[in-house]
Amino acid sequence: MDKSVLELRNLCKSFGALTVTNDLSFTVEPGEIHALIGPNGAGKTTLIQQIYGAVQPDSGQVFLNGREITGLGVPERVQAGIGRSFQISNVLMDFTVLENAIVAEQARLGQSFRFLRPAFSDKSLKAGASKILSRVGLEDRAMQPASDLAHGERRMLELALALATAPKVLLLDEPMAGAGLEESQRMTEIIDQLRGQVAILLIEHDMDAVFRLADRITVLVEGAIIATGTADDISNSSAVQAAYLGSA
Amino acid sequence: MSGIRNLIGLVYEGVKDNRLLWLLIIGFALFPIITHFADLPFWNDVAMRIMLLGMAAMGLNLVLGYGGMVSFGHAAFIGIGAYCAGISQFYGITNGWVHLGFSIITCGFAGLVIGYLALRTSGIYFIMITLAFAQMLFFLFVSLEAFGGDDGMSIDRAEFGFIDLYDPLRLYFLIWIALVVVGMGLMFIVRSRFGVTLRAIKSNASRVEAMGLSPLRFKIVGYVISAVVCGIAGTLFASWQEYVSPDIMHWTRSGELMIIIILGGLGTLAGPLLGAIVFLLLEECLPLLLGAAAPAYAENWMILFGPFLIMVVMFGRGGLIGLLSQLQVRRNARSDHRGP
Repeated sequence: MDKSVLELRNLCKSFGALTVTNDLSFTVEPGEIHALIGPNGAGKTTLIQQIYGAVQPDSGQVFLNGREITGLGVPERVQAGIGRSFQISNVLMDFTVLENAIVAEQARLGQSFRFLRPAFSDKSLKAGASKILSRVGLEDRAMQPASDLAHGERRMLELALALATAPKVLLLDEPMAGAGLEESQRMTEIIDQLRGQVAILLIEHDMDAVFRLADRITVLVEGAIIATGTADDISNSSAVQAAYLGSA
Repeated sequence: MSGIRNLIGLVYEGVKDNRLLWLLIIGFALFPIITHFADLPFWNDVAMRIMLLGMAAMGLNLVLGYGGMVSFGHAAFIGIGAYCAGISQFYGITNGWVHLGFSIITCGFAGLVIGYLALRTSGIYFIMITLAFAQMLFFLFVSLEAFGGDDGMSIDRAEFGFIDLYDPLRLYFLIWIALVVVGMGLMFIVRSRFGVTLRAIKSNASRVEAMGLSPLRFKIVGYVISAVVCGIAGTLFASWQEYVSPDIMHWTRSGELMIIIILGGLGTLAGPLLGAIVFLLLEECLPLLLGAAAPAYAENWMILFGPFLIMVVMFGRGGLIGLLSQLQVRRNARSDHRGP
């Protein structure tokens, strides 16, 4: 079997008396879309934060391609190959769409500490940035200020920025949140196209999207995994139905 | 050869995109001709003060306007720069280039230490910590009796080789050249990959982090650059007024720099210089105007200045530069309406 892209080993995290991550272990395999579902307050976002490096676990380890990244901060983890989109879309609102992509492109190339040449008129940066935008179909919006984008387009831009760092694993925190039906469908298509190119850990409340996209689903309840399996396994699991689907 | 040609191309491009900044700087170069024929040498002095404070404000604007870091302690770097000249002169080092080198190194180091510690905080805490550092340095210089303490000390103007600073015009053009160098340097920096990243951090630090960059590093480097620019202005300031005292780094000067930037236009290259021109001209002219109308109140010119500032901030989002571009947009709209 191939080495897992992402592996969590016995991760624990408590805030005071509240245990949000309870001895949690699972893997994300190369090229798969792994969905993480669970009721509100199950600890999904806190888990993502621990993989991302914004929150340090109390104990346990995080491995990326077999290399331990537990103690690293956010920028180091991103450089190591973790990409992320946020629950609330998170782009550079004061910049145009193309400028957003240019900042990401120069960061990927490790060129951000250069002081001489103007960045926004650089041809090679622009070309790289256009490529980033074309992956999510935003080339036509390149000159728009990011603040003028519709909600769904902004989510697309954020996905593009997350992909720009060439991540090995992409953490998507509710990419469909707040999106209309059409926007959700478009986002689902784009995530579907990424299958095989990059491993994805997807948190999503939109069950149609989850069941359509996920190769494997992990169900999180009160910080612990109650089931992992294919879409069929999960929808037939009585534990899951009791804990989650039944209550929805 | 092609390197030089490229550089000239870059300068040309930058100047073309920042016409107002370079028009103002060229205006400063031509200004002594006017004062010469109008026989108003005093106004050269005002222009030098404007250039020096404008330069310092441009430095602060890199962190305040482009980086979104509200530093309320940049007067400290002007003071350190000034004392670098003063203390050097005190020990008989009269070479101005040495003063400048000393100032750049000291302000760079002070900026690094203060930035490293203060930039761990943000918002109101950052404002307070930068103010606290500035006050510490202020009282440090007040307590240095050897260098005049509270009263400061008179110093000679520095020697810049063939540039004799006791010739008022040569001093004027030394300051002008410094302004050109600072303006050129900042123009390159804010358009560069570094400058763009700094602006991105102001817009959304967590997104920049998600791109794999550490915002703190960029902020510290920006902070050091702005400290050095303020230091250069301070060193020349000392030579200009032939006098150094803690007054030059009083906390009100930090406020003055912020007012100049906000008045001119936050996060624009020309804004701080335009702000300095308007601010200091009003400081000179309002007492005269008020004195003519009501002599007893000439000292209270701030009573007019305050409301003016409030009006600019309320009606001209983006300061005077914002007002100018609004006018431009309106004029363009009107000529579009009339058709070709």
